Amino acid sequence: MAVQGIDFANLSLMDALDLAILIEDEAQERYEDFAAQMEQHRTPEAAKFFRYMVENEAKHARELTARRIHRFGDAPRTVTRAMIFDVEAPDYDAARAFMSPRKAMEAALAAELKAHAFFVSSLPTLKDPEVRALFEDLRDEELEHQQLVQAELYKLRPETGLSDDDFVDEPTAQ
Amino acid sequence: MSATGTCEYQAKDYKSDLKPIWCPGCGDFSVVQGIYRALAAVGRPPHEIAFVSGIGCSSRIPGYTTAYGFNSVHGRALPIAQGIKLANPDLLVLAAGGDGDGFSIGGGHIAHLIRRNMDITYIVMDNQIYGLTKGQLSPTSQKGRITCTSRYGSLEEPVNPLLYVLAYGAGFVAQASPTDLAGMASTIEAAIRYPGFAFVNIQSPCVTYGEEAQQIKGLKAISETLDSLGHNPADRLAAMDLAQQYGEKLHLGVFYRNPEPPPTYGDLVKERQAALSKDALPKERILDLFIKK
Repeated sequence: MAVQGIDFANLSLMDALDLAILIEDEAQERYEDFAAQMEQHRTPEAAKFFRYMVENEAKHARELTARRIHRFGDAPRTVTRAMIFDVEAPDYDAARAFMSPRKAMEAALAAELKAHAFFVSSLPTLKDPEVRALFEDLRDEELEHQQLVQAELYKLRPETGLSDDDFVDEPTAQ
Repeated sequence: MSATGTCEYQAKDYKSDLKPIWCPGCGDFSVVQGIYRALAAVGRPPHEIAFVSGIGCSSRIPGYTTAYGFNSVHGRALPIAQGIKLANPDLLVLAAGGDGDGFSIGGGHIAHLIRRNMDITYIVMDNQIYGLTKGQLSPTSQKGRITCTSRYGSLEEPVNPLLYVLAYGAGFVAQASPTDLAGMASTIEAAIRYPGFAFVNIQSPCVTYGEEAQQIKGLKAISETLDSLGHNPADRLAAMDLAQQYGEKLHLGVFYRNPEPPPTYGDLVKERQAALSKDALPKERILDLFIKK
């Protein structure tokens, strides 16, 4: 379940903008967590990529916040973080110790695909034309984010044919 | 737009500055998120919460919250939590640990908290392995499981945590998993709100020593919500029937909630104190008698 307690049919533009901002916030926080995990596990390249994603998500959140303030000022928010569950944030189990930059990028790409699917599946339930237009923008932005990650993937050297499992020691008794 | 209601506290208010050192991908990352969300929904301030754990990967969890925490002794989270609750009944007391901590070395304590109906929520992160000590058999490891301490496969039947607590008469028994964060948060919230001993078994995968079938993908393949089965959580015998499928099916939600919860041990202690204090000597008089002796 990606969201809980949100009536999409009656979603107002202000609530839709707040929802979009919180989705970006959640993703930013998750990438921060992932970057910290990678730094703790001496995986600097993956950490660097996750930090890059933190900046991207923060940038999108700032843009949406500017739109929200422009239209609705500081009107109280009714949508809360308690209502959203991993919409654009990569799943916790997507991270792995010593993950390669490629694996990190693939995790981010999967998260962008998930977010795109969320906006696509929400569109038919929306009634307000302005909210529909916003969701269409957000859907298209998710496609742009996917292209952004894919561009990073193309910059990588070709795969060596080795998998992460090749570097894992068998469990041993202490 | 319908909101579920505004909370005074948000999940982030329960998140400490300490960064978890679990293996990336560990199921416990989702569990701690579920706990933050449940605590925010319950709305008790962090300084009114005590969180006690034993020893193990999952037992690090109190440190990742802003509640008072005690990462205590192996298998002894429950007696310590009980002591805290009796000393300060106003605290919301949570206990947590792994399946080894809870059902091996600490297994004997569970029955006594259940029979006393201590108002404590006990969260077990069940990964069917001793992860912190590098992958030995744990009490919930499946028969035939190959580990570094069972090279030719385990000869032992696993403990069934759900049946274990149901058989002792626990008033609230539930199961959750990181495969469903929303469900996990609401299950933990329901456990905290239950007036008495509440047990939540969370199938939390170990990414380093866990088997493929126990990872998120494998768990998703065998999971179904108890709601979708039309299970009535007031029916204890039906709960026991479903609990027997532990290890084969991953049933998510509340197995059993006693519709008429008995008084908690804390309530009974208060009653006893009130009854005895009618004829009790004033404190000063007791001291005088003691000094004279």
